[in-house]
Amino acid sequence: MSRQQVRGNPRMRRGLGSRTSDPTTMMEDPPSGDWLTLRSDQFLKWVDDAVYNIAEQTGIRDVVNRVTRPIFNWALRYSPWPLHFGIMCCALEMGAAGGPDHDSERMGVVYRSSPRQCDILIVNGPVCEKLRPKLKTLYEQMADPKWVIAMGECAIGGGPYWDSYSVVAGADTFIPVDVYIPGCPVRPEALMHGFLTLQKKIREQEPGYFLRR
Amino acid sequence: METGKLIQQLGKHKGTSNSSALRSNVGCISVTPEASSAFFTALKEDFAFDHCSLISAVDNQSGFELVYHFSIVGESGQMLEVHVDLPRDTPTIDSITHLWGGADWHEREAYDLMGIYFIGHPDLKRVLLPDGFAGHPLRKDYVYEIHEEEW
Repeated sequence: MSRQQVRGNPRMRRGLGSRTSDPTTMMEDPPSGDWLTLRSDQFLKWVDDAVYNIAEQTGIRDVVNRVTRPIFNWALRYSPWPLHFGIMCCALEMGAAGGPDHDSERMGVVYRSSPRQCDILIVNGPVCEKLRPKLKTLYEQMADPKWVIAMGECAIGGGPYWDSYSVVAGADTFIPVDVYIPGCPVRPEALMHGFLTLQKKIREQEPGYFLRR
Repeated sequence: METGKLIQQLGKHKGTSNSSALRSNVGCISVTPEASSAFFTALKEDFAFDHCSLISAVDNQSGFELVYHFSIVGESGQMLEVHVDLPRDTPTIDSITHLWGGADWHEREAYDLMGIYFIGHPDLKRVLLPDGFAGHPLRKDYVYEIHEEEW
């Protein structure tokens, strides 16, 4: 039965009112002020707004933020978990930074293999056209708050492959990058410095997390 | 089998030329694309070359050249280099995937980057570049101009 036939059926039109122009979109937003027909997500949004407005206008939000921000921020700074994702030779330097000589784990940098558990995406190599949608998906799968480190010349601007037919000229052409680490390849010390720079950035910029908008 | 003897026997096949011994256990021979199918079948069945090491494509401006490397996995360690010259306007040759399964991705790569069509290949599509890529970038006449305007 085609869509046109449903639309033309007089019984259907009479039974469900004028809003059933299309059977696939029978569920419509209720008119504003119609309290009885709130959907669950609309109800949650209403509750969210109400709690936020009350906390904001009475100043409670500021107070709670002032207390919890240093704690949350400290926890955030010292547990930046990067995604264990290697593209090219900088990935070996990333491994060296995690090894016993440089031991990035003393700053809480623990490599995780699932983007759902990660805060940092380290782009460590040239991103080719075939990899770009996958890398973008990885970035989008990471939970907020998240940061991106462009490690090495290839990730910053394409490096020696900037003129290639299949390499993207820089990771910042498709995802926002927070820290750029130059080098070809980046030394482990430079990567450590990049993590410290990111720590500084988190300390200066991250707001509190109570009822965050 | 000794390399000289092998080369001598292979040189008797139809369409072959320039057979020579490169090193003590490496032979070299040229085949025309028309005779290649029968030649490769004989190579597999009569001479027991059981491994296709690699297929590389070369762009010599005037035409394309395919270089096959075959070897016998065993004590003799015999290797053979087969050159096939293809015309520039119709770079097609019979696939050898049904003889050596490992040739599958080599042929796909040669198709992807150099645009050589292997007739009878089970799944001839791009292997390295994304689907929908225009052209074959390792050809000498391939022009890529996207970055020109930015600089």
